[in-house]
Amino acid sequence: MMSEVQTKTTVRVRLNVNGAVHELDVEPRWLLSDVLRHQLGLTGTHVGCEQGVCGACTVLVDGKPERSCLMFAVQAEGHEVTTIEGLTPADGLSPLQEAFQEHHALQCGFCTPGMVVTAAALLRDRPNPTEEEVREALSGNVCRCTGYQFIVDAVLAAAKEGRS
Amino acid sequence: MTAEMLKPRFTGARVTRIEDARLLRGQARYLDDIAAPGMLEMAFVRSNRAAARILSIDTSAALRVPGVKAVWTFADIPITLVNSAYPVQQPVLARDEVRHVGELVVAVIAEDRYTAEDAAELVQVKYDPLPPVLDTRAAMTDEPRRVHADRPNRFYHKVQETDGFQQAFAGAPRKLKLTFTTHRQTGVPLETRGCAAMPDPASGRLTVYATHQSPHNFRAQLARVLGLPENLVRVVVPEVGGGFGIKAMFYPEYVVVAEAARRLGRPVKWVSDRTECLLTDAHARDAVHEVEVAFTEDGRIVALRDHVLGDTGAYPFLGFAGAVGEAGWATDMLTGPYKIPYVSITIDCVFSNKAPTGPYRGVGGPIGAQVHEGVVDAIARELQMDPADVRRVNFIGPDDFPYETPTGNVYDPGSYRESLERALALVDYERLRRQQAEWRKQGRYVGIGLCSFVEPSAFAESEAGSIPYEAASVRIEPNGTVTASFGLGPTGQGHETTMAQLIADQLGVDVKDVVVLHGDTDSAPFGGGTGGSRSGTIGGGAAVRAGQELRTKLVKLAAHLLEASEEDIELTEGKAQVAGVPARGLSIRELARIAYTDVGRLPEGMTPGLEVLVRYRPPMAATYSNGIHLAVVEVDVKTGFVRVLDYVVVNDCGKLINPMIVEGQIHGGVAQGIGSALLEELRYDGNGQLVTTSLMDYLLPSSTDVPRMRIEHLETPSAAEGGFKGMGEGSLIGAPGAIANAVSDALAPFGVFVTDLPIRPEQIVRWVRQGA
Repeated sequence: MMSEVQTKTTVRVRLNVNGAVHELDVEPRWLLSDVLRHQLGLTGTHVGCEQGVCGACTVLVDGKPERSCLMFAVQAEGHEVTTIEGLTPADGLSPLQEAFQEHHALQCGFCTPGMVVTAAALLRDRPNPTEEEVREALSGNVCRCTGYQFIVDAVLAAAKEGRS
Repeated sequence: MTAEMLKPRFTGARVTRIEDARLLRGQARYLDDIAAPGMLEMAFVRSNRAAARILSIDTSAALRVPGVKAVWTFADIPITLVNSAYPVQQPVLARDEVRHVGELVVAVIAEDRYTAEDAAELVQVKYDPLPPVLDTRAAMTDEPRRVHADRPNRFYHKVQETDGFQQAFAGAPRKLKLTFTTHRQTGVPLETRGCAAMPDPASGRLTVYATHQSPHNFRAQLARVLGLPENLVRVVVPEVGGGFGIKAMFYPEYVVVAEAARRLGRPVKWVSDRTECLLTDAHARDAVHEVEVAFTEDGRIVALRDHVLGDTGAYPFLGFAGAVGEAGWATDMLTGPYKIPYVSITIDCVFSNKAPTGPYRGVGGPIGAQVHEGVVDAIARELQMDPADVRRVNFIGPDDFPYETPTGNVYDPGSYRESLERALALVDYERLRRQQAEWRKQGRYVGIGLCSFVEPSAFAESEAGSIPYEAASVRIEPNGTVTASFGLGPTGQGHETTMAQLIADQLGVDVKDVVVLHGDTDSAPFGGGTGGSRSGTIGGGAAVRAGQELRTKLVKLAAHLLEASEEDIELTEGKAQVAGVPARGLSIRELARIAYTDVGRLPEGMTPGLEVLVRYRPPMAATYSNGIHLAVVEVDVKTGFVRVLDYVVVNDCGKLINPMIVEGQIHGGVAQGIGSALLEELRYDGNGQLVTTSLMDYLLPSSTDVPRMRIEHLETPSAAEGGFKGMGEGSLIGAPGAIANAVSDALAPFGVFVTDLPIRPEQIVRWVRQGA
């Protein structure tokens, strides 16, 4: 059992997030999700469980969907991290985001950035997925509001129109 | 009344949501996104015992951690919450004794959350364990002990019986006895609970950001507990990531955070982690219904007896003891859509050494529907009738409305029989039954489950609001755009769109020109908040009435300026014009400019400005939505896995404001119902430890568990403004019963009849082994 607390040590990391390089001093134990949100102000990445289950904190690491609550920020060094902010155009919405709006694929919006990130990676790899493939790809992202149907519809519609 | 009012442009249309863009872009501000200079963060030491006396608390090591500002116990914050109906003391931090795992014991305030959690781990609490009260039936007789020494565990007892029940029950030819149980579950909004309090030393005011469904109710409770005048407390509810009832409650953490901010003179934030949520977000369900039904040979139900045992956990929430609310709703709606003349109801609710229970979407509705639909299906099996036929025999008919139930509800018109027939048609029921028989011969166990429901909505009183009205403050700004403000507390329901639709139609403006504000007690009119499926009906009614009032003023002003009679003025596409003569018109923008800044042109006696505050109270105590769910499931009898093959909902919530949003609500409720029936259970072990403290243990439905659903709307209007009925909860009321009945139907060859939810795979395997 820990009886005395040591002085905290930080280490310097270089993080490539959404194409920009950030030099940061972080504690080695800080989660990537916390550093994205609180050090870089990228609060579009949401934390729903910190148990790696809900998928709300999903970001792309070298293009692959990863749970940023299951990674330490120091582990992201040397990799390209993309958050919802990095998938969002300067103005308006991406075609995939537009499909989410048109199909009412979100209610409270908390799981939404993680859903969009996961769906964007799916459509990049499989531009014409079946409904089953969409459901499989999204099965690691919990939504408590929508029952998933309109999310699936939005992703299928975005695929059909060749947009992501 | 002008022509265009009869043809609303937005009301009833599938208008895409105004709030979506910020949510999709990741720019919405939820509670944990709120930062302020100098903000401290809080972590809690929670009880790891279900029942124990606290012998000592040593905070000295925690206090030595650099960055720690304070470590507090009850001695530092001696505040106690007391539910006025069931006066037991709930200290905000445990005092001398802990009564459930997860109860707050010590608060640690530090520069950041990591530091606060480090320090919390260094706090040493010595406990002297007590025998925990965990079994509901034993708790009734104060075994093994009392949860609160000064009160019996059974804190609520109610008996209600229709005159003539005994005779009717005794005289009926057939009887059945069933016990229905739904285990503990909880809402699990994806965003966890939290709050952030910020003192303003200059004004003496306290601003509290909170994840809550009722900003004004939160302010009232906090102000009362802290002894502050309400005008010195500002509550701001930011974006909220789901609520489902659990965020309608007032939790002790909020008091500790607010008090810490006041004492330390700094902003203080606490955000729950998921384990804390599963431990202490209002738990729900956890009730046993012992039911006896008396019926005739042709399936007509004569009399229904229900004895409910409910467990409310260690403390009653302020204003809402969960077990009482659940049992009350379930038994109040015990007869559902059926003409059952006689009921006998007994309710007993107890305290236990488990977490407090409160509302979760549908409250007692899901269990109530599980009971009446289970009863109907049990009768069908007993009499070898089709379950649809037993429903047909018992439904309240179209000529029976208004129908008064034996529990005193007065149902407004609904479409009970019609919704059943529509649902059966949607699945081609006769063909499906034949197909089912074929499948059974092939060793495939497919079941069809029906659940007909009545959803009471827009109550004069509910857990969120407890007021029978809602307010809308609407103003047309000097440039002609519209700002509306409500005391609602949306958590994803899309009120910024639906309320804008209603107002836009009254004023003849584009829905995009209406901004809807909510959640800030400094700008919102006093309101009840969102819960009990009240916002669309009561809030929507206020929106319509406020729009009408503004419209009247606009018409009067336009008529005066255009030298026309008021009857000839129509509002359309942002203009007030003489009907059919677009050339004789003025834009709303021009009218607004005149109303605010060119007031010499106003008609005599008209006050400047275009702003109204309207309170709307519906003419009835509640309005009743209805519908039916039909589930087709396949049970793998080897693994116990249940797959939902098809799902149909016929829903009648009166006039629709936005069918797309209604369908989204239904989809979400069905998913929760599938979770409730097949996956979700908060389990305590024999020591009162919650063993489902992560989302790997408390299982939520995923995109591969929830089937594609088909929805059909029926529209039987209510007497409320606009003809709206509430519908936020009906989908979760209907779904668990439909799944339960479908599994019973699938496993009928094994003699299985489901009465306990959730249905776990190992239970199915056991049943099949026993029945085979």
